[in-house]
Amino acid sequence: MSEPQKTKRKLTRRDFLVLTGAAGGLYLGVTLGVLPFAQLKLAEFLDSSGGPPSNIDAVPLAWFELGADGLVKIYIPKVEMGQGIHTTLAQAAADELDIPWESIRVLNVGTGKGLDDPVGTSASNSTSSLFPILRQAGATVREMLRLEGAKLLGAAAETVRAENGFVFATQDSARRVSYGEIVGAVKNWLIPDPLPALKKASDFRYIGRPMPRVDLLDKVLGKTQYGFDVRVENMAYGAVAMPPKIGATIKNAAAGAAESLPGVIKIVIEDDFVGVVAERRDQAWRALDAIEVTWSETHAWQQDEIEALVQIGSGRGVTVQQEGDVDGNLRGAVLEAEYFTPMVFHAHMEPQTAAADVRAAGATVWASTQTAVGVRRAVAKATGLKEETVIAIPTFLGGGFGQKVNSFPAVQAARLSQAAGRPVHLGYRRPEDFQNGFIRPPSRSRLRAAVNPNGLIEAMEHKQASGQVAFPFLPVFVSKVMGADFGAYRGAQIRYGIPNKRVQAWLADLPFKTGWWRGLGLLPNLFAIESFMDELAVSIGMDPILFRMANLPLDETGARMKKVLEVVREKSGWGLPAPQGRARGMALGYDVNTIVACVAEVSVSGREIRVHQLTGVADAGLFVNPNGAAAQMEGGMNMALSSALFEETTVKDGALTPANFGAYKFLTNADSPQIVVELISSGDEPFGLGEPPLGPVAPAVANAIFALTGQRLRRLPLKLA
Amino acid sequence: MQLSVNEKTYTVDETPDRPLLWVLRDELGLTGTKFGCGVGICGSCTIHLDGAAARACLTPLSAAAGRQIRTLEGLATENPDGSLHLHPVQEAFIELQVHQCGYCMSGQMMTAAALLEKNPHPTEEEIITAMDRNLCRCGAYPRIRQAVARAAEIKAGG
Repeated sequence: MSEPQKTKRKLTRRDFLVLTGAAGGLYLGVTLGVLPFAQLKLAEFLDSSGGPPSNIDAVPLAWFELGADGLVKIYIPKVEMGQGIHTTLAQAAADELDIPWESIRVLNVGTGKGLDDPVGTSASNSTSSLFPILRQAGATVREMLRLEGAKLLGAAAETVRAENGFVFATQDSARRVSYGEIVGAVKNWLIPDPLPALKKASDFRYIGRPMPRVDLLDKVLGKTQYGFDVRVENMAYGAVAMPPKIGATIKNAAAGAAESLPGVIKIVIEDDFVGVVAERRDQAWRALDAIEVTWSETHAWQQDEIEALVQIGSGRGVTVQQEGDVDGNLRGAVLEAEYFTPMVFHAHMEPQTAAADVRAAGATVWASTQTAVGVRRAVAKATGLKEETVIAIPTFLGGGFGQKVNSFPAVQAARLSQAAGRPVHLGYRRPEDFQNGFIRPPSRSRLRAAVNPNGLIEAMEHKQASGQVAFPFLPVFVSKVMGADFGAYRGAQIRYGIPNKRVQAWLADLPFKTGWWRGLGLLPNLFAIESFMDELAVSIGMDPILFRMANLPLDETGARMKKVLEVVREKSGWGLPAPQGRARGMALGYDVNTIVACVAEVSVSGREIRVHQLTGVADAGLFVNPNGAAAQMEGGMNMALSSALFEETTVKDGALTPANFGAYKFLTNADSPQIVVELISSGDEPFGLGEPPLGPVAPAVANAIFALTGQRLRRLPLKLA
Repeated sequence: MQLSVNEKTYTVDETPDRPLLWVLRDELGLTGTKFGCGVGICGSCTIHLDGAAARACLTPLSAAAGRQIRTLEGLATENPDGSLHLHPVQEAFIELQVHQCGYCMSGQMMTAAALLEKNPHPTEEEIITAMDRNLCRCGAYPRIRQAVARAAEIKAGG
């Protein structure tokens, strides 16, 4: 099965909304043709700045504000959670606008300002979806400035150019007018028709360059407001009772001694909800612990029962890839192997958190969320308010990794605020965060293949089972129609040029919540496929890189994969002897049209596995910010290495364990290897890079361990016998 | 009770066992110091007590009173002309573009600054040992190591 085809639509004049502020200023929104242009040109509003006005009937994807001071503010609906998206998108806009880097500001706005983004910030789509739109918007504004600048200079339009924040007379660059001056002078703006052409790559000032992150100065000064940092006037603090065991529900509850504890403002006891609001955060926690809650009796789930639920061939299953005649060609020496990956926590450093101010007429919610639109919908439903009266404001995120597409803390904070009549901040304690999220589900993969003596794979089959990944966030009918969960089988398809291949996926119903985790099924599935590729290469005594090259698809993707393999071979020292006591392993991944190959260099000491170096090579199309891309590679590979070596959430006596950091071991500074990154640009379109680096690391490490010790480890985290 | 934070004195009405973290964040509004685990493992809440790195989530107020407390907000200083003078650690973390989400970085930078006070020329091994108890889920560890080494250079006038 191929990736869903993206429909590409060329923007036209009708996709832009242009407004002039009463106090001066140019405002431009990209609306993708929501409103007819004639109507917009006449629109007037008094709102001087702060994102799109709430009195327009459009839903802009992005919003530009140019002031007479020469500053350009762009408002975008994608949240900054460490991926550098604000910087990347600023590069796209500033380049086409042709302004000094210092004059651009990137801001988030909440749903009340119209920037509604139903997708949210996820699935490595932010750069690829908004990059072309912001470029076109930037180019359009620049052309509008150029045309108006020409009038102010008393020159014909074809005799002026716009550059670096000014419109110049081409023949006499001393005759110039700044963008700010133009914005201050012009009252009626016209959107050019047709829209201007975009810059040629050779004219880029910022795109493709390692521009500094726009959010870093605030971050080194401690000024950045994350969800946990939200402070609102008259704000109180909340705490909510959460089930101590999987599946437990509230049977009954009594305030007990909690009522008379210091600082307690309100104790909320409802059928399905118990919480407390207090003047201080630690008072709320103390009071919550004093409320007498009786939970329903539940089955004391154990880990082996959970693993038994994840079965290939049982429950709902669906074929997700089918080419040629697999059964007819899986004969002779057929190799077969089974792999398992465990549940893991997201363990973002900032626990799930939100603040809410619920009034009779409407609500404002500040949330550390990847989807403000989802928060708005959930809060409206929980409070009985109309959706349009709920404003959801996404903050900076202290990590998200997929967990923060949920709306639990926002809904809980809203319910507490509604009950107490005060704004309430709710921040989970770490054990609450671990117990009450959508964790990465366990997965099982069984692979079978037949290889001929020349190293060509004749047939391959991948059967996969996993808990839910995407379904919990979709309407029920979608899961009924689709059968298997596309999030769970992300990465499960066989990308090699094998004539006969089949991939089938089964969905396991688990008693706890599972869902998005950075890359979704990518890491579990690639661990299986790329470990198995290594087993196949070993079975015929072939070099793992050459074996993959022999089986690449004969198309453009295959050609890109070949290049990535060649570069990773060179950069990792593959083929040269590894340092004494070490060995190398490799793997290749494909995800969101991005190709990443990884070579791991490992040693072992007793049962301890040490990874000394990871070499990662990526082709993600155009790298808008190579330094940011390298950071995504380094961080993503380290996160995957952490899954490979350490991480495992288990179920014990009916609860997810462990409860906190420490016992839940993940990669520390001393565990982190040296990371060598090489980026290969192909084409002028950026693909995603937030998740693809997580794919090939675990199998590269497992394959290196096999090369070093002869032990084939088919289960994560990797543990030597 | 009186607290000295970033060279300012605050009078607070608090119980002596309350963790310093919540007083800094929720009462004084110094939210640069972060909450991550509450049990002293992740290091997101690292501050300085009399110049040494300490975990604010495990520090009761009684142990902080009478001592010089420094948070991330107090790491930069002011030039005579009123402009901002970044600490070498802040400068180096920007130069190396270390932050991803940045949530742990307050603690990372405070740990690094305390290390360089004690040991102005740390070896790579000493840097790794000092920084190993500050967790970073974005995995920015290689850049953290480089930035601490670079901060030592900047501090030495380089």
